[in-house]
This record gives sequence, structure tokens and C-alpha cells, in this order.
Amino acid sequence: MIAAKGFLMHARHPLAVALLALGLALPRAALADEAALQKRIDALEAQLRALQDQLTAIRADAKSAQASAANAQATAEKAVAAAPQAAASGTAAVAAGNAAPPASMAPYAFPQIGPNTVLSSYGEIQYNVPQNSNDALADVGRFVIGIAHSFTDRTRMAAEFEVEHAVTSADDSGEAEVEQAYVEHDFTDHASGKAGLFLIPVGLLNEHHEPTVYYGVYRNHVETAIIPTTWREIGVGGTWHDDTGWTVNAGLTTGFNLSKWDPNSDEGRESPLGSIHQEGQLAAAKNLSGYAGFNWRGVPGLEAGATVFYGGAGQGVDFAGKDAKVTLYEGHVRWTPGPWDLAALYAHGAISDIGDLNATFAGAPTPVPATFDGWYTQAAYKFTFGGGQQLGPFIRYEQYNTARSYVGLPVGFDVPTGPNNKATTLGLNYWLTPGVVFKLDYQWLRPDDTQSRFALGIGYAF
Amino acid sequence: MWPFVAALTLSITLAACGGGGGGAGSAGDPGLSDRAALGKKIFFDPSLSASGRMACSTCHDPAFAHAQNNALPVQSGGAGLDVPGFRAVPSLNYLEKNPSFFFDSEGTPTGGFNRDGRAQTLADQAQRPFLAAHEMANGTPDVVVQKLAAAAYADDFRRVFGSAIFADIDTAFLRARQALEAYEREDPAFHPYDSKYDAFLAGRATLTAQEIRGLALYQDPTKGNCSGCHPSARGSDGTPNSPPLFTDFTYDNLGLPRNMAIPANADPAYLDMGLCGPERTDLAGRRDLCGAFKVPTLRNVATRKVFFHNGAFSSLKDALTFYVQRDTNPEKWYPMGSSGALEKFNDLPPDLAGNVNTTEVPYNRKEGEPPALTDAEIDDVVAFLQTLTDGYTP
Amino acid sequence: MKRRRFLSGLAVSALVPPAFATDYLSIEGAQKALFPAADRFVPLSLARGAAALRVPDARVAAMHAFTAYAGDQLVGYVVADAVIGKFELIGYAVGLTPERTINGLEILWYRESHGYEIRQPAWRAQFTGKTAASPLRVGSDIANISGATLSTTHVTDGVRLVAQLVQATTA
Repeated sequence: MIAAKGFLMHARHPLAVALLALGLALPRAALADEAALQKRIDALEAQLRALQDQLTAIRADAKSAQASAANAQATAEKAVAAAPQAAASGTAAVAAGNAAPPASMAPYAFPQIGPNTVLSSYGEIQYNVPQNSNDALADVGRFVIGIAHSFTDRTRMAAEFEVEHAVTSADDSGEAEVEQAYVEHDFTDHASGKAGLFLIPVGLLNEHHEPTVYYGVYRNHVETAIIPTTWREIGVGGTWHDDTGWTVNAGLTTGFNLSKWDPNSDEGRESPLGSIHQEGQLAAAKNLSGYAGFNWRGVPGLEAGATVFYGGAGQGVDFAGKDAKVTLYEGHVRWTPGPWDLAALYAHGAISDIGDLNATFAGAPTPVPATFDGWYTQAAYKFTFGGGQQLGPFIRYEQYNTARSYVGLPVGFDVPTGPNNKATTLGLNYWLTPGVVFKLDYQWLRPDDTQSRFALGIGYAF
Repeated sequence: MWPFVAALTLSITLAACGGGGGGAGSAGDPGLSDRAALGKKIFFDPSLSASGRMACSTCHDPAFAHAQNNALPVQSGGAGLDVPGFRAVPSLNYLEKNPSFFFDSEGTPTGGFNRDGRAQTLADQAQRPFLAAHEMANGTPDVVVQKLAAAAYADDFRRVFGSAIFADIDTAFLRARQALEAYEREDPAFHPYDSKYDAFLAGRATLTAQEIRGLALYQDPTKGNCSGCHPSARGSDGTPNSPPLFTDFTYDNLGLPRNMAIPANADPAYLDMGLCGPERTDLAGRRDLCGAFKVPTLRNVATRKVFFHNGAFSSLKDALTFYVQRDTNPEKWYPMGSSGALEKFNDLPPDLAGNVNTTEVPYNRKEGEPPALTDAEIDDVVAFLQTLTDGYTP
Repeated sequence: MKRRRFLSGLAVSALVPPAFATDYLSIEGAQKALFPAADRFVPLSLARGAAALRVPDARVAAMHAFTAYAGDQLVGYVVADAVIGKFELIGYAVGLTPERTINGLEILWYRESHGYEIRQPAWRAQFTGKTAASPLRVGSDIANISGATLSTTHVTDGVRLVAQLVQATTA
């Protein structure tokens, strides 16, 4: 097998290649009978036509090459800049022609910021009006900048820097965070490993949380309150996949720190694991955690998978919860037959060995739940229009309970479990292009319907 | 390892002989720096008082969490130990994390030493007792320094602070107080964190059913809500995993009844109003702060003989009962005036009665309503508070 | 250095594959996989189709098109192309019969952290039998791969463009 690179070098001299091909074809033609000869002539005609085309192409190439030579000092970045102009998301191609050619005629460009380095970004801005309240809220929910760099074909890094809620300081509610920073290496075409701060491969949203890929102005409740999206840990992980659709993930990472639990705050009731995650911030790392999971995508459009995460949460801290363990498991299915997008997910969390700790929280409003869980199902339909526009109405129904059960509470000081929250979301995603989405939805929440709300959002990702 | 440390300690000690100070333990107190060891001697030295009979430890008895060992609302000092003071003796324990006075971002007064927060440091705080007429009554620093120069440990003092230290009165007085501060900070006797509750938080002890009930009532925001100002959870001071200090270092106005057992209160014009004076002077204009006193730690509260700044109560149960019944049964706490009306909040001028905290649980009730805690529940909370006494051995 | 050369080359041809050291397939490999019976692959210019469809030269210059012959018999066309995945280029090759019906899609190289599922035979098989007249759109006749929307969309868009260019060039 000739190395393709070598081949492409030859391909830069297509005239030579074509002549060679012609030369090889001629002697054989002389031996053919008449009928075959006619066919041969036809073929040669076709080849001649191809040759003419090649000449045209070569002339065009030469012209471009001149231009290129004139810009010999231009940086690589500048050179790349020309490509997106002609290409970005297909719309530029429309502008380039008089009549509108088919959309997406051009390749998708991406913002290269160095020889092997790519910039990415996503952001979302939301506005919501709770039904029974005078509070309307507009927020730059997230703004993220990412870079990815390839050291070699097989070794790369990726990092994302995120600012939540626009402004971050000691007196503001924003957060600035490194959401991912890891190095990944392909051992073979089917097995790769990564090390650093990375997203746990769990559920449908955690690894794919850009606003353009999920329905609704806000991320779903189950994958926020039960699975603490965006959930990342420091550690090492491996991925293996085959060509029949199986992917297996496993890793060893940092885990949760139960000593951070605040029994007097609502945070633990909003998201039990979200309130004790460490996010790679001076993470107490006495206890290792592990995860293992699989996805099967053997039928195009179908994804079915499950993941379990388990680890100690005492982190060596001398407190009554020192033996606590966190277990989270989930299963999910997503099926996208044609324009349909159907999804379902169930997630269950448990924190064990917390009886002694909950005794110390006696009387406090938010003890540590022993179990918490939730599920949702979602149906969406995508209408596709010209210019890459898509319209996706969707409906999602969720049930989740961040405190399904408690243990260790003193007699007479039970804290009510639940509530068993129910959320129905009806909405619309409109993609102006695949990278820009406008959203609107209405969400009914039970039992606390004061939080039922109308919401608008805009998001982008590239 | 240890021989190496010992050798290191020795060399540091020898180096310290030049007068720098700060080395560890030549004065015979393992774990204490020279300065702290000297502070310890000063702390227990009655010769530094006008009476010759009053040391710091007289009012701050180590056996009572460095607070008073009698049930008098105020202690008496002076040359004849017959000049009465103005406030009950606060514990000196668990002040090592006490911040200097400041207004937080929401304007809440926070931190500081003394019950009105007017001293910025422990060394600053130690100034008044040496000089005040109702305490050690030395009047001026030079008298104190004179006594220090004559003390048995005067050579230690020179060794730690320099041979000429006594020639500079102000510096010597300051160094003596800094030595006291070092002692209070370094000696674990001031902050042992070894109560039953600490063992319980660490998962090494279990509380009795009554103690657990008491804890639950203490922490329940609808019942005792004690942890609202006296946080009981680990890390509640903002430092991850730190043991709870049972104070948030803020100030509150409880509307305590006037304690007529304090001699100064015989004068109706005398009103001790904490942050706004008269002892503290810089916030005299902040009338909204009148009557607010610092929230003390509740560690070792069960060892106290009297409670609150004016020693109005001498039992923990009475103190707790006051909290929950102040508004439901005011007649139990306040005297009837000559006009026949109840003189509620009678330790404040009537126009400042509005400063009293009447909004937070448990003192958000009205007359006739049931108190936030029943009598039995108060007993439970008392049982819990007894687990905060240091020196627990399983 | 290798990559820098690739980038300055972009001015000439919009997308030339990066280093090939660890590819799944070379272009020759894809040619053989798509047309095992063919013994010659003659370069084919897509300029005619590009002009008809008003596709920018730079875009077409990224492609490498061939006419496949078995002996004297025209057996089909092969077009190798590259599109952006999310962070990396994806190289692929499309085979079309003389009737310009897609007979196969091969992935030449793929370097993304996610979306390698586009290499699965089951996903690629969706393209077989489609023509320039087919929708060839994710969410229509091509199924999405969850978590690899960009890769699937861009490859599908690329295949559609290839089918249309071959149709317009050779019809």
C-alpha cells in the first residue's frame, strides 16, 4: 500500500498521472475487437475530457499558487482564515454564488489558532419568568472557551475554561472554573486513555452539554440534580470501542467529599452530589473512586448505555462520615430515527454509612439523603429547512427526588423526604445554523408550582 | 526523628538566648515558645496587681474554662479587692480564631475582643485588667513594668525581650501583653477541642438519646435555632472541616433584664449598652447598636457560674428558659413598674427597646403563645450543652 | 513542521489531510475497498460540477476524485475528501457506481475524542444506495450518532456534496 501522503504528492501533478494512465491504456486497445474498440474510444474520450479538466484545474492551481507565493510570509493562521470565509457553516457558499446552491456546499471550518491548536467556545444566555412570582431573571448562564491541541496524531489535549453567571468576584455569584483539562492518547485505533481533569462519561448530557445539543433553555433536572452535570474529576480513564457499536469506559478518579456537606443549606437538597463535588479544586483525594460503563450504538441512530460510579466520600477527614461511600448508576437510551429524537434516562444515587453523620445533623434542615433518584423521557422532532436551519419542538417529562430516603435521624426529628418533583417541559429549539440555537420553553413544576416558568434562551457552540 | 527535633529545639533555644525570642520551650513548658512560657508566668502572677492578690487567673480560672469560679455577677478588684466591676467574666477559651472587629459586607458588626469588641487583639484586650481600678488597679503602665522588673521571672523577660527592655515602659508593657497573647494562643488548655461533642463529630462517641434530642432542638431552625448564632457544624467558620466554635462572632441584643446585683446599676442613669457604650466609645453615635453584645462561644458553657454580660442568670436552665419565654412570659423576667406596667427590656432606655431582637426564632413569639421549647425540651438542650465541656474521656 | 506545511497549503487547496501515519485507510486502500475489481483509478476533475453548482474552487480543490476502471470497463467513481469534525479533520472516501449511486463510504482517518462511531459499518451502510437526489441529511435519511452530531452532520454534508458534484460532472 502506497502511503497516501506520497500519493497526494503525485496528485499535485495530475497531468503526469493522467498521461501515465493514458499510456498504459493504449497498447491494450490495439488488441481489442471492433466493438471493444468503440468502447475503448468512448473511454478515451472520457479520459481526454478528464484531462482537459485536469488542465483547467492545474491552471487554477497555478493561479492560486501565485497568490500563495505572494503571501509566502503570511502566517499559517492567516492562510486558514481564508478558508472559513469561503466555508463557514455553508452560508458563505450561498453568498459566493449568484443562484443559491445546495446548502453546506463548503466544508465546515474551525478556528485554528496555531499549527495544531483549535479554539472552541460555547455560551448560553437565558431569561426566565416564574409563573407565580414577580422575579424575572436574565443571566449569562455560561460562557466557555476551549482549546484543543494535537501533539501528534495520537496524543492531544483539551481544556475548557468556563465563567458562569457573567461576573465573578468575592461579592458576585459567578464562578470561573476550569471545566476540563486533560491529555488523551490513542493506544490503538480502538483504545485510548486520558489523564487529567475530565468529564465523567455518564448519562446523555454530561459529556455533551453544549446548548446546541440539548433541548430546552435549561439542562434537564435529572441530569443536574441527580447526576451533577457538568461532573468532572481528576484521574485516569480509558475507552475501548469496536466497529460493531460497543464502547466501554472505565477509570479511576477523585470523588466526592462528604465533609463539605452543609446541613443548614438548601444546596444538598437541590443536588446532593452537586453540593459535595470537588471539581478538581484542591480536591481531597484520600479515597479513590472508580467508574465503569458502556454504550452500544450498533444500530444507526440508537444509543443505549449504562454507567456506575462508586467511591469513598470520607476523604480521610476525621468526622462522623469518614466511612461514607457514594454510588451512582444510570441507564439511558436515545433513539433518533429520521427526524425524531427520543430519549429516556434513569439515574439513582446512594450515600451509604452516613447514620453517624446524620446524627450530628439532628434537627438541621438538610441531612444527607441515603438515596436519591430520577428519570425522564423526552421526544423531539426536527424540521429541516434551507441554510442549515432546523426547528425542533420537544416535550420532556421528568420525575426526580433528591431525598428519597434518610437514615440516622433521631426519633422524633424526621426530616420529610422528597419532594417527588415532577417537571413537564414543552418547548422549541430553533437552529439558525447548526452552531446557533434559539430556545423557548414552558416548564410546569409540581408540587412547587411557584417555580413553573417561561424561559427564553440563546446559545451557540463551535 | 525525635532526637533530631530535640537537637534542633536546643539549638534554637541557644540562639534565642541572644534575645530574639520565639524559640520553643526553655522555660520548662513543652510546646510553648519562650514568649508564651513567659506569658504563662505573667498570667498566674498576683504580684502584678495593686492588691498583690489578683492575677489574670484569679478571674480566668483554668478550671472553669478560664472564666470566673464563683456565681457573682461581677468581680471586685482594686488595692483592697473591694471595687466592684461592671460585667461578668468572659471565658478566655476559644479566642484563638476570634477576628478583630469589623463590619461585614452587610454591615453586621463582627469580631473584636471584650464583650463590646473594642479590643482588636488579645494583647490589646489584656491592657484594661492591668490598669482598671476595679481589676488589678495599677493605674499606669509604668507601675506594671516596675512589678514585672521585680518579678521572679524578670530575667526570663530580659532574656526573651532584651536586657534593656524594662527601660522602655511602653514597649515592656506591650511585650508583657504580647507574651500573654502568645500563651493564650499556644497553650492547648485554651482550646483543647476535646469535648464529648467533638468526639461525636469525629464518629468516636455516641450521644445519649436525650443529648441527641437536645442537639436536634439546638439545631432545628424552628425550635431552638441556637445554631443560628452559635454554629455547631464542622466548618461553619468557613474553614473546611474545622471544629465548630459555637459563635459566629457577631453581636445581638437580647433585651436582658437589668441585674440589680451589679452595684453600678443602683444608679438609674448607668446603662451598659455594649457596642454603643459607655465603655466602648467609638460607636456611641450608632444608637441602633445600643444593647448589642458579642455572641460568646458555648463551648464549656455548662462550666459557667453566671450567664450573659450582666450575669443575670446563674443556671444554664434559667438562661435557656429566658430565651424561649422572654416574650411568651415576660412577667417572669421583668419587674412591674410603679405605674403598674411591665418594664420589659428594662436595661435599655425605652426609646431603644426596638433594638432588641424580636424577629428570630426562638424569640419571635408573643405573650400567651407557647414557648419555642417546652420545659422538658430545655432539659434536653441543657443535656446537649453539657457535651460541650472539654476533657471528655470515653 | 509537517502540519505547518499543510496549513500554508490551505491557500491552494482548502483541505489537504494532515499527517497520515496512523490512518485507518490510505486513499488507495479506500479505492480497493470500494471497487475491488478495479485495476486503474484515473484522476477526475470535478471542475465541471463545481462550476455548475457554484461550489467555491477552494472547496473542490480539497477533493481527490478518480474514475475507476476494471480493464476497459468504467466501474465507478471514488472521491476522497476531508471535513471538519469538531476539533479535527475527518478524512473519508465515497464510492459511486457508473450510475452515480453511492456504493460505499470509507473513513480514512478520524482523530476526535468522540464520534468514532462513524467508522461503524452499520452507520456507513446507511449511505449505500443513495444518490445526489437523496436527502442525504442527518435527521432525515441518515441517523445521527448521539454525542457526535458535528461529525455525523459534517460527513453527511460532505457525502452529499460529493454525490452532487460527481453527478454534475459526469452526467
